[in-house]
Amino acid sequence: METWTPNPRAKPFIPRQQRSLYLTWKYKLTNKRTIRRFCQAGAVLFLLITVIVNIKLILDTRRVASEDAAAQEYEDVIPNMETARRPANGRKVLDIEVYSSRSKVYVAVDGTTVLEDDMREQGRGIHVIVLNQATGHVMAKRIFDTYSPHEDEAMILFLNMVTRGRILIFTIKDEGTFHLKDAAKNLLKSLGSQVSLNLSWRDMWTLVVKKGGQVYGEKHSKSPALSTWGDPVLLKTEVQLTASEEAECHWADTELNRRRKLFCSKVEGYGSICSCKDPAPVEFNPDPLPNNNVFNVPVAVIAGNRPNYLYRMLRSLLSAHGVNPQMITVFIDGYYEEPMDVVDLFGLKGVQHTPISIKNARVSQHYKASLTATFNLHPDANYAIVLEEDLDISIDFFSFLSQTIHLLDEDDSLYCISAWNDQGYEHTAEDPALLYRVESMPGLGWVLKKSLYKDELEPKWPTPEKLWDWDMWMRMPEQRKGRECIIPDVSRSYHFGIIGLNMNGYFHEVYFKKHKFNTVPNVQLKNVGSLKKDAYEVEIQNLLKEAEVLDHTKNPCEDSFLPDSEGKIYIMFIKMESETDTSTWTELAKCLHVWDLDVRGYHRGLWRLFRKRNHVLVVAVPISPYSVRKPANVTPIHLEPPPKEEGAPVEQM
Amino acid sequence: MLRVNRTAVLALLIVSSSVFLLFQLHYYRKYVSKHPGSHILRPAGHLTPGHLTASQVQWQVVKKFLALVQHFKLPLFLTDTAVLALLSQDALRQRDRLVREPHCSFLCTGRAVTSFALQANQWKYDPGFLLAAEQKGFEVMELRGVDPRLASLDTLSGEDIPLHFLFRLHSHVIQVVFLYERSGNYLWHGALRLKGDADRSFAAFKVLDYGRYAGAYDRPQLILTVLDGLDIRVPRNISRFLAQQKHARFLECRYRDARNFLQLYPDDSSAAAVDFRRKAKALLHLTAQTLARLDVPFWLSSGTCLGWFRQCSIISYSRDVDIGIFIADYRPDIIAAFTDAGLTLKHKFGKVEDSLELSFLIEDVKLDIFFFYDNGDIMWNGGTQAKSGRKFKYIFPRFSLCWAELLELKVRVPCETLDYVTANYGASWNIPLRVWDWKSSPSNVQENGVWPVAEWAELIQVY
Repeated sequence: METWTPNPRAKPFIPRQQRSLYLTWKYKLTNKRTIRRFCQAGAVLFLLITVIVNIKLILDTRRVASEDAAAQEYEDVIPNMETARRPANGRKVLDIEVYSSRSKVYVAVDGTTVLEDDMREQGRGIHVIVLNQATGHVMAKRIFDTYSPHEDEAMILFLNMVTRGRILIFTIKDEGTFHLKDAAKNLLKSLGSQVSLNLSWRDMWTLVVKKGGQVYGEKHSKSPALSTWGDPVLLKTEVQLTASEEAECHWADTELNRRRKLFCSKVEGYGSICSCKDPAPVEFNPDPLPNNNVFNVPVAVIAGNRPNYLYRMLRSLLSAHGVNPQMITVFIDGYYEEPMDVVDLFGLKGVQHTPISIKNARVSQHYKASLTATFNLHPDANYAIVLEEDLDISIDFFSFLSQTIHLLDEDDSLYCISAWNDQGYEHTAEDPALLYRVESMPGLGWVLKKSLYKDELEPKWPTPEKLWDWDMWMRMPEQRKGRECIIPDVSRSYHFGIIGLNMNGYFHEVYFKKHKFNTVPNVQLKNVGSLKKDAYEVEIQNLLKEAEVLDHTKNPCEDSFLPDSEGKIYIMFIKMESETDTSTWTELAKCLHVWDLDVRGYHRGLWRLFRKRNHVLVVAVPISPYSVRKPANVTPIHLEPPPKEEGAPVEQM
Repeated sequence: MLRVNRTAVLALLIVSSSVFLLFQLHYYRKYVSKHPGSHILRPAGHLTPGHLTASQVQWQVVKKFLALVQHFKLPLFLTDTAVLALLSQDALRQRDRLVREPHCSFLCTGRAVTSFALQANQWKYDPGFLLAAEQKGFEVMELRGVDPRLASLDTLSGEDIPLHFLFRLHSHVIQVVFLYERSGNYLWHGALRLKGDADRSFAAFKVLDYGRYAGAYDRPQLILTVLDGLDIRVPRNISRFLAQQKHARFLECRYRDARNFLQLYPDDSSAAAVDFRRKAKALLHLTAQTLARLDVPFWLSSGTCLGWFRQCSIISYSRDVDIGIFIADYRPDIIAAFTDAGLTLKHKFGKVEDSLELSFLIEDVKLDIFFFYDNGDIMWNGGTQAKSGRKFKYIFPRFSLCWAELLELKVRVPCETLDYVTANYGASWNIPLRVWDWKSSPSNVQENGVWPVAEWAELIQVY
């Protein structure tokens, strides 16, 4: 280092300093090598730090990623949608094969058979399959037996409901044109069919189109003669899948819409629930009931594989005032996907049941498992509400039950409370506030007491090998033991099911279509206390006292049998020598167009119903204890079945 | 030349690595700092656990968690054994003398876990709760399992139900145990089992109070209280709850095996069998009630235990109900209690010191009460033949007691049920035997001498 002795007299201080800076600079310059070394070391250190930070980052990210993966495992985030998403440029092509012939149809998508029907005597008509245009999943499968009348209308309804852009596959089995009217043919033409207008008797036909888009293929073979079928046709075609974004609607990202999105990506045929612009609601938020005694009563919905019914049913149930969705469990008989999708859409609990036995016994076993499970899931419940998937539920269903449920505890002579009046048709039911006691078990929306089930019914429930109807079994005297059910005059449920184990269109038209269904909210029921055993007798005696005897010389089937009055009480007497002497009641029920397949809806030989807005009491003489009210000069009405063959060949419900 | 190059390269490297670091900083903030496990680069002003002790962290975390719980209206109560132990009567008395940290005297146990229970039937599952917890910085683990209430029905399958929630913040874990109502008037929680891909280091699973086994509890009465400034619901009777917690292990019936058994040997559905099952169920319920009033614990023994273990119900041809009681729990008023309940004493064999056995009758169903003696490695009960005065000894390997459910009743069974049943019925317990001689058929029976004739009147009482 340079030596320098400070001189106190030396004046120019600042330049010295400048010089010193300069010197330092100069010095540093001369030591560039050291500086460079220093900088290099710094840089290396810096790089080292970068490397360390990097490694930590990688470790952290990996941990976060693995946590995310774990979280996904539990969160059940829309699995289908995620897996179905394909790279936009690598769009997939589906190979589709469609076969149409007299005795067999099949549809294969990418080699997987999604429809095959070669059973004899069934599956006649037009088979329709809907595929998701982004994933190729089957969203709906329907058969329209367009050989029979009106089925083409159902097909039009269905096709109109399908979202634009979906892939539709049509194929005819056996015969599908006899009742295929022009409206349907025109719709098919507008979808892109070239031959639909020329489709005729026993033609074979297949078509693959995108709704509102291109035609992927169509094949048709004419039937050469009336007595023969067209040659089988096999259509092979390719369908280009679109990007999933194009197949989806852009609903706001909420929990509800997430459920909706999942649902709509899987199934078709539920109308506006999947509409992009104005979707039907998934949540209904009906009014609560002020004093709801049934808020914590579990609701068991017994279902099979009729997802469209279940959808309609759950919508009405979730719209009823005072409903508590948390208490609802849907029990599905079988491992069907679509009913479960419907349950998930509404955010309800669903339980699947491995079918046991066949036909009626299968239903019966399903009922037993469902009821047991209901009380298992809600061990503190004293009752359960039992519903079926083919019922509409009245808006005041829970209000009706809330007002009556205490009766089950207070009156041992009660078997159930049911929302259904077997005799309550449009023309025979009038007063939504009126309740009856009946000696039968109507079912179709009813309340079961736990003690009745656990102590009496469950231990001796019919075993699988007994092919019994559960409801018929419950109606047997060994089970019912003389107890009665409370029912409303105007039913709180409506049976809309047309297809079912014991159901067909004709049967439904005759016995269920005209059933009265309450649509008035918050009905205040009259005199609920008077439904108890003894009080009800007093009530009946008052009615009998007040009632005017009708003219028994007239024909009870004629409208003129009743005077043109309103709001009066009338009484009539019919002949019934014993429990089994049902001919007069059956004939009367037939001409009144009420339930006539067996004797239902009576209380000690007394039926109560409305005619021409008057309350009519029908007393069976002599078996009813109320027969004493019959004036001596009145001869009970006696009707014999007409000598012709028995009525409609339908099964009993 | 070379030197300049090297400088340039280095400068380039530095620039690029700074850019890269900046990017990483951004990335770090965006993704990692959401997870509170790593708190570097977190904005200041946040709770930094480094400055706090473990117990203070616990209080902070519980406070944060309870705020969330209140917002989502979770029906939660405190079940943490360490905290409740501090709260129970005895501990409170001792505490008065101890002066601790003024702000936190209960929720600062310093343990890594605080546990709560959630009454599942009072809460509608809301995924929003977990999302909110995550937003508040908690790491969440949800454990689900099959619904045992449906498992008893061979053919039903429902969705998995949530069994446990774990929330972690600042390495303190809050466990929420789901309590489900079961038939038999009790609350049940499931065992905590990690799935294959679960994070095994999420919590110290071994120290959790709940989840090693499934558990059964009486429905506790709850009271709202203020602990260290936080509103918390706790069981009203804390010592009782803690006592239950120690012996809460619950065994689910082996429904699948029972189903297989019943397929091989279908249940008798005759009217007589249905009638017997109804009576036996009533008797079992009455027994449980009577002994609960005396606070005497009992368990299913012999045929009744076999019925539970083998077919999850009562063996219809067994004709009686068998229970065991430890002789230590014997009380002289047991007989009076049963006769008051409407049973008649049928016989009394032996004495408290040796081979005590009581037998009651109601309608035509017998209730046998065997008293068990503890003999170190084995436990045994005695039998007496009335006409000859011969004594027998039935030997069982040591067992402890667990809860189980039979016929809508919460009852105890030996936890080591298989050993118990095998000791009693041999390895072929899985094959029904209608002919049974209590003196020779059991595989664990031993001759045990004869009662002295002089004492017969006292030791062999038959009514």
